[in-house]
Amino acid sequence: MTDTKTWARVKSPWVLHFNAGACNGCDIEIVALLTPKYDVERFGIKLEPSPRHADVLLVTGAVTHQCAERLKRVYDQMPQPKFVVAIGACACSGGVFEGNYSVIGGVDKVIPVTAYIPGCPPRPEAIIDGVVKLLNALNPPKQKTNKAEAKPEATPIVGR
Amino acid sequence: MASNNLELISLVESKFGDKIQVQRNLLGAATITAHNGLHYDVMKALLEADEKTGVTSITGLDLGANLGVYYHIHTSKPFITIKAEVPKVNPTIKTLIDIHPGAAFHEKEVADLVGVVFEGHATPGHFVLPETWPEGVFPLRKDVKATEVKPVPTPEREANVLPENQRLVKIIIGPQHPALLEPEKFSVTVEGETVTKVDPRIGYVHRGIEKSAESRTYLQDVYLVERVCGICNPCHAYGFVGAVEKILKADIPERAQYLRVIALELNRIHSHLLTLGHAGLEIGYETIFQYFWRDREPIMDLIELTSGNRVYGSLITIGGVRRDLNSIDIPKIKEGMKNLRNQLPFYNKIYREEPTLRLRMSEVGVMSREDAIKLSVVGPVARGSNYDTDIRKDIPYEAYGEIPFKEIVYSTGDVWARMNVRLDEVEESINIIDYALDHLPSGPIKVDLPRAVIAGEAVCSLEAPRGELFYYVRSNGTDMPERVKIRTPTFANIPSFLKSAIGESIADVPSNFVSLDPCFSCTDR
Amino acid sequence: MIDFELIFRILVFPGFTFLFLLTLFCDWMERKIEARIQNRVGPMVAGPGGILQPLADFIKLLTKEDIEPRDAKKIIFKFAPLAAFAIMVFAACFIPIDGKSVLTTGAGIGGFNGDLIVILTFATIANFLLFLSGWASNNPYGSIGSARVLTQFLGYDIPLFLVALAPAFLAGSLQIATIAQIQVTTLLPFAILAPWALVLFVITMQAELEKDPFDVPHSESELVGGLETEYTGAKLAFLHLTRDIQVVFGSALVVTLFLGGPYGPVFFGPAWIWYTIWFVLKLLVVVAVTEYISTVFARLRIDQVLSGNWRILLPASILSLILTVALVTWVYNPLRGA
Repeated sequence: MTDTKTWARVKSPWVLHFNAGACNGCDIEIVALLTPKYDVERFGIKLEPSPRHADVLLVTGAVTHQCAERLKRVYDQMPQPKFVVAIGACACSGGVFEGNYSVIGGVDKVIPVTAYIPGCPPRPEAIIDGVVKLLNALNPPKQKTNKAEAKPEATPIVGR
Repeated sequence: MASNNLELISLVESKFGDKIQVQRNLLGAATITAHNGLHYDVMKALLEADEKTGVTSITGLDLGANLGVYYHIHTSKPFITIKAEVPKVNPTIKTLIDIHPGAAFHEKEVADLVGVVFEGHATPGHFVLPETWPEGVFPLRKDVKATEVKPVPTPEREANVLPENQRLVKIIIGPQHPALLEPEKFSVTVEGETVTKVDPRIGYVHRGIEKSAESRTYLQDVYLVERVCGICNPCHAYGFVGAVEKILKADIPERAQYLRVIALELNRIHSHLLTLGHAGLEIGYETIFQYFWRDREPIMDLIELTSGNRVYGSLITIGGVRRDLNSIDIPKIKEGMKNLRNQLPFYNKIYREEPTLRLRMSEVGVMSREDAIKLSVVGPVARGSNYDTDIRKDIPYEAYGEIPFKEIVYSTGDVWARMNVRLDEVEESINIIDYALDHLPSGPIKVDLPRAVIAGEAVCSLEAPRGELFYYVRSNGTDMPERVKIRTPTFANIPSFLKSAIGESIADVPSNFVSLDPCFSCTDR
Repeated sequence: MIDFELIFRILVFPGFTFLFLLTLFCDWMERKIEARIQNRVGPMVAGPGGILQPLADFIKLLTKEDIEPRDAKKIIFKFAPLAAFAIMVFAACFIPIDGKSVLTTGAGIGGFNGDLIVILTFATIANFLLFLSGWASNNPYGSIGSARVLTQFLGYDIPLFLVALAPAFLAGSLQIATIAQIQVTTLLPFAILAPWALVLFVITMQAELEKDPFDVPHSESELVGGLETEYTGAKLAFLHLTRDIQVVFGSALVVTLFLGGPYGPVFFGPAWIWYTIWFVLKLLVVVAVTEYISTVFARLRIDQVLSGNWRILLPASILSLILTVALVTWVYNPLRGA
C-alpha cells in the first residue's frame, strides 16, 4: 500500500505558485511550463488556485518583509505531505537583492525548502529537471528499505 | 527633439519673473527652480495653459541639509521639471492633489521613502514599505543603512465586513491569488455584485532597488535595474543607460542604436503576446492562452539568439550594446518574424468574431479620453481610449526617428480596445524589426565611456510595452550614482483602474485589471 | 434470500465500480481532448498514455491530510461531498447501461414510470449538496462560489426539465428505460425526430455541468477555488468525483434520451455485452462533444449566463416542448397508428 501511495503522490503533484516579491522572470517561466512547448501536464502537474489543494509550493522571489508572513500562512494552509521548491536565485539566497533593506533574502529563512532551482531565471527545462529530480527523490528506484519512508526535507536537491 | 515647450516656458518666466530660476535644456525642455510653495503656482499655470499637463514623476532625494522634491511634468510637448527644496528639519511642502489628482501616488511614495510631508495630503501608514517597517525611518535618506533597521511587529488585521453597512462586503484579492501572478492586495468593496471602492495595498514586491542602486557601480546597476521586471527588462536597462549617456553627453554609434531598437521591439512583441495570452486566462479562455504562448516561444528563442539568454539578455549596456548580430542570425530573425506575421490574421479573426470573447471584453472597463488625460495614463491603456501618447513618436529616441511605423490608437476605451492595440502593435513591431534589419548600418557597436561619471543629472523616457518608462539619474563624480529614480508605467496606470472599476460588476474586475497589463514588480521596485 | 446478482449489479457492473472506472476514463479523455486542441499532449506519465492519471489524482487526494477549518459547519462540511457523490451514483443507476437499469435483475428493462423526473431531481439534490458544501466552509470564496452554483443550476433546471420532456412525449412514457427502448423498436433515435430538443438539451447540460462557456462557479481568476477552496484530502477527492460523474450522468442522459441508449446491432454472443459497448461508445462521443465546446469558448460572466437563461433558453425550451407535442399529436402518432 505504501508503494501505491507513493506512486500516486509522484504521478500527481499539484503545484501552487506563490510570488514572494519576485521580478516576474521566474514566474513567467513557471507559467510557460503549462504551454505547448513544455507541457508539464504530462507529468500530472496541475496549477492549483488554492493552497489547500496543492502538494508542492513553488516560491519565487527574494521574500520581501511584506510577503514573509503571507508566505508562512500559505505554507501552513497546505495539507501534508507538502514540499517547497525555491525557484530562482532570489528564492535560493536573495539573488541580486541580498542585503536590501526590505528583503529577507531566501525562502529557507521563512519556511523549510525541499529543492532549490537556481538561475536568473532558470530555464523552463531547468525547472522541469528540478521538479522531476524532486519526484524521483520521493520515489527512489526499487530498493527494499525498512518501513521508514525517505525524508526529503533533509537533503536539498539542486537542479541544473 | 520635439521638446519644444518654448511658449510654456516663456509664459512661466513672464508670470513669475525673479521668483524662479529657469535653466533651459536641463532635465527636459527646462528646469524651473521654485521654492517656498511656488511650485504649486507654476504647476497651476502650466495646467491652465496646456490640458495635457500632468505629473510624470516626483523624485525625492536627500541633498544633505535639504530634501529635494523634483516634479517631472509632462505637457503636450514633454518635459519640464520643477525643482523645489525643503529643509530636513521641517520637510513640509504644499500638495498638488487638489489641482492634479494624478500626483497622489507619487506624493505618497515620496512621503514614505524620503520623509517629505505633503501639506493637505495625509499619508498614514506605509505605502510601499512593509508594514513591519518602523515609523520615522526613511530608507532613501543617506544616513539610513539597511542592516540597522529594526522591524516592528505586524499590526492588527482589519475586519472583512464593514460594520456600518451590512450590505457592503469586502473581498480581498491577493496577495496569493490565481488571477495575479504577483502579490498585491486589493480590497474590493462590493454591494451585491457592483464594485463601490477599491483600496490597493502595494509594496509586496518592494525590494529597495533605488537605494541599492546607490551602492553599486554604474555597470552593476545596469544588471540591477534590469531586474526590476523580468518582462520589460531591456527597457529598464535602456532607461538607466540612456540617462547616464546623456549626463556623459555620449554619442552612441548608429549600429548600436539599431540593435537596441531590435532588442526593444522583440521585447515588446513577447510582452504583448504574454499579456494577450494572460487576458485569455482571465476570461476563462484557456485555449487562446495556450496558442498565444505557443507563438511566444519562437520569440523567446530569437531573444536568446540576439542576446544569449531567454529573459535577461542584458544586451544594452553603457555605451552601446554588448553583442553584435552576425549574418547567420539575421535570416533566422526574419524567418521568425515572417512566421509570426502569418499567425496574426487568426488572432485578429478571433478578436473580431468570437462571440464569447466579445461578450467579456466589449464595453467592459470603459475609460473616456478625458479621464485618460486627467489621470495621466500611459501606454496601450491610453491609446485604447483615443489618447495618442507614444514616446517613440513624441520624443523619438535611438533609431525610432528614422524608422517608419504607425501609432495604434483605438477609440472605444474598453478592454477590447486595449487588447486590440496590443495585437496591432505586435504587427507594427514586426515591421520595425524588418526595417531595422534591412537598414542595419555598419560600424562599431559600443563606445568606451569612463567608469566614473561626472556630476550631473539627466532624465530618460522611453516607451516600454506597458507605457512610458521614466528614469532620473543623478551623478556625483564617483563611479556610483547619487540617486536613481524609476517611474514605471504600471505605477501611473493603477490609479486609473481604481477609478474605472467603480460601478462595474465584480466579475469584470479581473479582465479590466489585466487589460491594464499590470506589472507589480515594476510598480514596487 | 440474498440476491447476489442484484448486489453484483449494484456494486460491480454496471453499478458502482463500472461507473467509477468509466468516470475516471472520461476524465482522462477530457483532459486529452483539451490538451490536443490546445496543441499539447496532456497526461503521459501515469500509466500508458497517462490513462491512470485520474486514478493517481484520486488516490493522492485520499492520502492527503484532511484539514477542517475551525469555523466550518462540521457535519455538513464532513458529509456533503460524499452525500453528493452517493446521490449521483444512485441517480445514474436508473440509466440502462446494459439494456436494463442497474437495480433490476431478471427479465424486463427495469425502472418505473416517472423515474426520469426522479433522477433529474436527484441530480438537482446533488447540486444542492455541492452548494451546501461550499457554504459550510466559512470562506468568502466558498460562499460566493457556492452562491453562483446555486443560482446557475436552479435557473437552468427549468429548461432542463422542459427539454427532457420532449423525448418523453415522443416515447409516450416517463420511464427512461422505455424511452430508450422505443427508439430501437421504431428504429428512429429521437435525435432525428426532435433535433432541436437535442441541441437545447446539450446546451442546458453544458450549463448544468458548469462547463465553459458556463464555467462561472469555477472561475479561478475571481474565486480562487470556488466552493472547493477550503477542502482537502478525501473530501476534495469526492467533490471532484461528483463533478466528473455529473458529466458522465449528463452525457448518459443524452445518449439514453436522444441517441437510442445502449441499443445497437448485436453481432454475436450475449446481448448485454454489445449493449454496454454501444452505450460506452455513444457516451464517449457525447463527452467529446461537450469537452470540445468547453475548450473553444471563453467563460461568460454570471449575469450573462443568467440573462441568457431567462431570455433565450427558457423561451426556446418552451417552444421546443410545444413543437414536440404538436408533432407527436398530429404527425408522429397518426404515422405510427398509435
